[in-house]
Amino acid sequence: MTLGPIKSAQEEPAAGERAPTPPSAIRIDGLSFSYPGAGRLALREVSLEIPDGVFALVAGPTGSGKSTLIRTMNGLVPHFSGGSFSGRVLVSGRDTLHTRPRYLADVAGFVPQDPGAAFVVDLVEDELAYGMENLGIEPLVMRRRLEEVSDLLALESLRRRSVRDLSGGERQRVAIAAALAAGPRILLLDEPTSQLDPQAAEDVCAVLQRLVHDLGLTVVVAEHRLERVASFADLVVGCVGEGEVVQGPPADVVEVLDLGPPVARLGARLSWRPLPLSVREARRYVQTSPEPPAAVSRPPGEARASVTKLEAGYDREDVLTDVSLELHAGVVAALMGRNGAGKTTLLRCLSGLKKPSAGRVLVDGAPPVPGRSVALCPQAPDSVLFRDRVEDEISVTLAAAGLRDGPGPHLERLGITALASRHPRDLSAGERLLVALASIAASGAGVLLLDEPTRGLDLEAKHRLVNLLRIYSDEGRAVLLATHDVELVAQVAERVIMLASKEVIADGSPEVVLGDSVVFAPQMTRVLGPGWLTVEQAAAALA
Amino acid sequence: MHPGAWVAWSAGASVVALSTTNPFYLLILFGASWAVQAAWGGRSRGVRSFRFFAGAGLAAMALRTGLVVFGPVNGGSIVMALLEGLRVAVLLAIYGAFNSVSDSSALLRLAPRRLQEVALAASLGLTLAPRFADTAVQVAEAQRMRGLGGGRLARLPALCVPVLESGMEQALVLAESMDARGHGRGPRSRYRPQRFGAWSWTTSALSALGAGAFVAAATAGTGDLLVAAAPLLWPQATGPLVAGALLFSAPALWPPSASRFERRSEEFS
Repeated sequence: MTLGPIKSAQEEPAAGERAPTPPSAIRIDGLSFSYPGAGRLALREVSLEIPDGVFALVAGPTGSGKSTLIRTMNGLVPHFSGGSFSGRVLVSGRDTLHTRPRYLADVAGFVPQDPGAAFVVDLVEDELAYGMENLGIEPLVMRRRLEEVSDLLALESLRRRSVRDLSGGERQRVAIAAALAAGPRILLLDEPTSQLDPQAAEDVCAVLQRLVHDLGLTVVVAEHRLERVASFADLVVGCVGEGEVVQGPPADVVEVLDLGPPVARLGARLSWRPLPLSVREARRYVQTSPEPPAAVSRPPGEARASVTKLEAGYDREDVLTDVSLELHAGVVAALMGRNGAGKTTLLRCLSGLKKPSAGRVLVDGAPPVPGRSVALCPQAPDSVLFRDRVEDEISVTLAAAGLRDGPGPHLERLGITALASRHPRDLSAGERLLVALASIAASGAGVLLLDEPTRGLDLEAKHRLVNLLRIYSDEGRAVLLATHDVELVAQVAERVIMLASKEVIADGSPEVVLGDSVVFAPQMTRVLGPGWLTVEQAAAALA
Repeated sequence: MHPGAWVAWSAGASVVALSTTNPFYLLILFGASWAVQAAWGGRSRGVRSFRFFAGAGLAAMALRTGLVVFGPVNGGSIVMALLEGLRVAVLLAIYGAFNSVSDSSALLRLAPRRLQEVALAASLGLTLAPRFADTAVQVAEAQRMRGLGGGRLARLPALCVPVLESGMEQALVLAESMDARGHGRGPRSRYRPQRFGAWSWTTSALSALGAGAFVAAATAGTGDLLVAAAPLLWPQATGPLVAGALLFSAPALWPPSASRFERRSEEFS
């Protein structure tokens, strides 16, 4: 691999002053920052140091300043955000206050949260070359690096495709490769695994670790879903709230944060020290093998939706063949599978948005009527919301469905009355999802479908989502949730449907389907064996 | 083909559309846009982009006509409104076709260095415009899920607010991403620069010829370019100008040497 910086590309015209000997990749001294118009500080008196060649994880709940902190490391804060900025950030010895992001591009590569929105050109290959072109890298060097990063991230088959036609996982890989191709010594990634299936997320983490180990790159990852990333990190920067930041070895910081991966939360409950961050570490603490808890099986309610011999695809290319299943009242089911396995296609057929090319979809005995008999909550909750107040969002749907009851009782039943008079834009990502879901479900549709709802949600927000889904299923609705988040599935789902190779390859209780899986097993299953799903179960048995 | 050739094509076609309200010429241009888009467009992206802009054009045409109907009505004014609406629809179809056949950002990367800041703003606009099509579809689907369907004016906020808001957000994300990746730093290099080859020259020349014919006719006041309201007469189409307008469908005859986009796969999966 020769991904290191090229000499000629390093000589940029208006670099900030260089420290005599750069002691660390990133050094932050006494940094305080607030966004324009914001009353409170997003970062308060932050001082930290990330040495060269480490894998650093910036962790913390949503809204704790993770994204802000990572954006200070290539100058997007304050150059793009505006706001009041004091203190100093040195990146490879360059002071970000006096160096625009574009003049840091050769030392710090950046992969934003939603790479799809950040792609500049249309063809994957051109996108990979874009950063290199800006740095003025020689065409022959570009050719070579392009080959290398495509190999490294397995992009060979995607190079002539349009970036707009890629799946979430493919986009993430292209964005990382594009950042890497420019040859930076530091790679900054904002929630790189949030759209990936477990296997793809694992692959991305492994690639990042390889960059650190083999090439000596410094990788900084902002994440709140720690179950995959925590065990790779050499160093954790914890955003603990109120703009404060702590830095230290992973186990120590994760303990302070209290949002660690399931193994860490189990360890915290059982006072295991040092706190385990990986499944392997947790196994050392488990000597006994207790009997798994008896699976609670309730008789399912009546079938509310049925799919018979469904075939569907795009442009004569099959995505699903011969899929048959039923969804039952009062059951929360999870739809899982790799990126591109056809989850979204199945949801679109069920919701009536897409006509199957063969087979039949029935909801309550009739073809699905979107917004009446069935409702699909889309990946981006922002595409749902358009009113100034949360309660108005609910009222709009109720009125369209011809329902007389006001939004009040509705919000109360869901436990989100406190949000009633807030503006949807002022809510956190998690709250926006709750409101979007509530305003879609207010139509009274008996079948509720959710497409990847957990993107950008922290533990607390997921907890509230779980409650909402339980309320809806208790009302007798059938809920189907497409997700990559195995830990969420372990908490909420009574049934797991697994898609692969255009077909349903497993359908049953989570104990069976997840317990049996190499890729999709939740951490408790990995530590204690099949039948164990949640931290609560395990903590009760091992206490 | 070189993106510059597509600029020549769409500029020429736009000149023609702007010079006339004669429905014969306008319909030929609409057909040419469709043919070019069908021959050259990326399968998924192109079709979506063209359909969106052609649809928006037809909606604009209906709106333009509708506004007149509510005013003082006479046959002439309705026909004029209809034809002007058709002109707008054709312009949007040309833009839609341009979008689907060429990578607008590829074009802007050719912009001279002095114009980098201008190019940044322009490329944000050009890159985001086609994405509006995708966002609009997403938002319309989301609102359908709430039982808010139909094309009634009262439903307009449900569509426009999320589309505009996410448009603003996307613009910011994109601008950030471009700067973070070194856009506007200084001398740039080019990965596989595209040649302005024979087909590019031919397309540019034919487009200039077609546009020239209409400009000449407009200057000379011949060719029945503008339909008169009173007296309302059925317009005539002249042979040379029909040929001039047909020139814009010529690129549909060249072979796209290699399809720029491979098959779309698992787009929604």
